Amino acid sequence: MSIWQKLASLDRRWIYSLMALTVIIPLVFPPKLPIQITVEAQKLFDAVNALPDSSTVMLTFDYYASALPETEPASRGALHQLFRKNCKIVTMTTIPLGGPSIAERVTRDVAKEYGKEYGVDFVNLGYKANYVAVLQGMGSSIEMIYPTDNMGTPVADLPLMRNIKNYADIDFIFVVADNAIVDYWVSIVNAQYGKPIVASVTAVSAPKYYPLVASGQMLGLLGGMRGVAEYEMLIKTPGTATRGMGAQSLAHFMLIAMVLLGNIGFLLTRRASTGGRP
Amino acid sequence: MTETLSLWQHVEIWLTAFVTIALFSFLYKDNPVYKFAEHIFAGLSAGYYVGLIAQSVVWSMLIDPLAASFTDNWLLLIPGGLGFLMFSRLTPIGPIPDVSWISRWGLALVVGVTAGIFIISQLHGLVMPQVRDTFVSLDPSQGTLKFMTALMSFVGVIATLVYFYFSAERRGALGGIAKMGIWFIMIAFGAQFGYTVMGRVSLLIGRLYFLIHDWLGASVGSLFR
Repeated sequence: MSIWQKLASLDRRWIYSLMALTVIIPLVFPPKLPIQITVEAQKLFDAVNALPDSSTVMLTFDYYASALPETEPASRGALHQLFRKNCKIVTMTTIPLGGPSIAERVTRDVAKEYGKEYGVDFVNLGYKANYVAVLQGMGSSIEMIYPTDNMGTPVADLPLMRNIKNYADIDFIFVVADNAIVDYWVSIVNAQYGKPIVASVTAVSAPKYYPLVASGQMLGLLGGMRGVAEYEMLIKTPGTATRGMGAQSLAHFMLIAMVLLGNIGFLLTRRASTGGRP
Repeated sequence: MTETLSLWQHVEIWLTAFVTIALFSFLYKDNPVYKFAEHIFAGLSAGYYVGLIAQSVVWSMLIDPLAASFTDNWLLLIPGGLGFLMFSRLTPIGPIPDVSWISRWGLALVVGVTAGIFIISQLHGLVMPQVRDTFVSLDPSQGTLKFMTALMSFVGVIATLVYFYFSAERRGALGGIAKMGIWFIMIAFGAQFGYTVMGRVSLLIGRLYFLIHDWLGASVGSLFR
């Protein structure tokens, strides 16, 4: 049996183990690899940076816990940049499983660093079912959709919400999502209410949204952990996305090598079995 | 994670680590520990979802407003009643005959309203702006890079649309352009697949980062300090 035949019949668990090692080693001993900033990430950073201080921003946590490595660092980055500009932040989610509690934990965590007060500088509206009705309804009245915040406090009792009635009182929308909800933020809230939108999405959905940046419907985009690492560079606050880039790059090298080896092995073993005939 | 962990934080980290490793164990082979973790996830998710909807929708948007002022909010009984009719899908139960067809009223309202909103918002908010953005200038004097990008976009859109034109036999020029369309589609699929791989690797990084830093580094490590 040739080496190529042995490789072709290799137990897939060896490949899993190799992949685990490829990721673990750079996480323990992080390599210094450069991170180039893409146009879309720069545009997102510039759009947030151009906001006047104390603007009111809606930050969404439209993701499940399963997408945390790609999305939570984006939420943290957004909170850092917005709190540094003393923006008022309204958070909400259209995701039931994890969304409200992730928003609560992450927002309070970052707010503590900047001495921001709940109800005055930021509010977590939590979750409401039926995202189409939620996105459409907030155009008329946020209080109608969210009579209370995530902890059950009536929004009328929150000082920040007294002056925020609907989208007209929101200056900017920063969507962090792991699903197609970005389509609806763009088609309902941007198209109908003219609200400027930027988004951070998972790598799986990123290709779909680049055309929306090109057409100007979104002002910027972060695609996957890589996009968030770029954002962390721009806001000068390296986080878990930046730390994961070494492992990401090495894992990609390994996958490319595996694909090449697999195809070379396939061609050589086929040639051997057909005696060189095509 | 450098601060001292509380007992509850230790418990949380160990539980998370156990479930993570239990689910990863499937990569070796299917086993009872994996099944246990999978069933815990399914059960917890269902329970949490029911509780969340009860609290954030049924309670805060129906029962609370009705209790606060029935005369001002009695209209809420209509969506509330239609929602309640969904339970008719559980019939027949005991002496109650099969009346599951009643649940279609609520569904019909949801489907109708959602379709109405979607058609307008998708056309107005996504389709038309994207079509408008496809009208690119093919003037070569705008610079080589811009011209090449515009040309690529133009050819790509036309070739892909021709590929999806099924009302004529694909021969001659039509066949050639349709074949070019397949190439554009394949390149798009390749880019999508590359991004998907990147996303899956990111998720693996996230779990392994947790196991190395939070579990082994912070929680297990604190036992030896």
